[in-house]
Amino acid sequence: MLDPLQATLRVGASGLEAQSRRLRVIAENMANAHSTGRTPGADPYARRVITFESQLDEAANANIVRVVSIEQPRTTFRVEHMPGHPAADANGYVRLPNVDLVVEAADMREANRSYEANLQAIRQAREMITMTLDLLRTT
Amino acid sequence: MIDPITPSATAVRSPATAGGVDLTTVRTGLVAGSAETGVDFSTMLTQLSSRAAGVVRNAESVSIAGIQGTATVQQVVEAVMAAEHTLQGAIAIRDKVVAAYLELSRMQI
Amino acid sequence: MQVFNMVSRHNQWLAVRQATIAGNIANANTPGFRAQDVQPFDMAVEQARLAMAATRPGHLDSGPAHAPATEMRREAPWETSLSGNNVSLEQELLKAGEVNRSFRLNTSIARVFHRMLMTSSRI
Repeated sequence: MLDPLQATLRVGASGLEAQSRRLRVIAENMANAHSTGRTPGADPYARRVITFESQLDEAANANIVRVVSIEQPRTTFRVEHMPGHPAADANGYVRLPNVDLVVEAADMREANRSYEANLQAIRQAREMITMTLDLLRTT
Repeated sequence: MIDPITPSATAVRSPATAGGVDLTTVRTGLVAGSAETGVDFSTMLTQLSSRAAGVVRNAESVSIAGIQGTATVQQVVEAVMAAEHTLQGAIAIRDKVVAAYLELSRMQI
Repeated sequence: MQVFNMVSRHNQWLAVRQATIAGNIANANTPGFRAQDVQPFDMAVEQARLAMAATRPGHLDSGPAHAPATEMRREAPWETSLSGNNVSLEQELLKAGEVNRSFRLNTSIARVFHRMLMTSSRI
């Protein structure tokens, strides 16, 4: 689209979508912070991480953002000694998810901030379009 | 663009402006005195009306392009605004010309 | 009138700048993304170009004011993340606000002059 203001709306929308998906991933992590496996020695919930990439929209000459992947990076799980737990292995150790709630909470605040900023960009563009159209109003 | 609101009639003599018709200049040119104008009055009026029609036609095509999405909002608004004030000026001049003609026709010979 | 052309060119440039700012905001969390900005709008150059076009009708308008996005090199970066992303949301939002203010001023000016032309034509 050759209208930069329309392009701005599209860019902002892509930002909103990206940040929404990021928030969902964070929420999943937080909800599953204590989700262990069901059977002895089973893997617990693995933290998910979302990755973005920018994409140049040729027509609009603007950078939109896309979600590239939602991955589970390889890290070692925490281990706690809890014999009698359904997921305890032969020695009574249970592997717990590698989710740090503090980190997730901070990430969530960041994602909210980014979401609001994208919203603001969309509002600004919408205002500019409205201001232009208002020039044609006679009253 | 010609400098507007110049009482000099030379402004009327150079109709090739960069943009639309500058009718304030034309009007003051008429008022200042037609004795100096190098352009024939009727020719000038014809040029005026054809240019006004052109500006309106351009506004129409840009508006259609805007609806189709091939023109930006800004382009549409600018074309329409230019048509508005060009047409307004042309109509004002036309009214004056018609009034003047009626005055003439009422003159006792 | 000159003022309409200036407003038009400046607003086109402002719109492109807003799109670039939005791109920075959308990519605030993209690894390695470098914030971009457009070439500054040179009022003096634009005015000269318009004056040239007025005196020589052959000088046709070359289309929207060129505002190619260039990578911005901040003298004092507010922040650069580990991944190389240097987008600062605060700075981008500040710029967006400035762009909007300028745009509002321009459209107000255009509206006023348009009204003046419309009323002055009613002789």
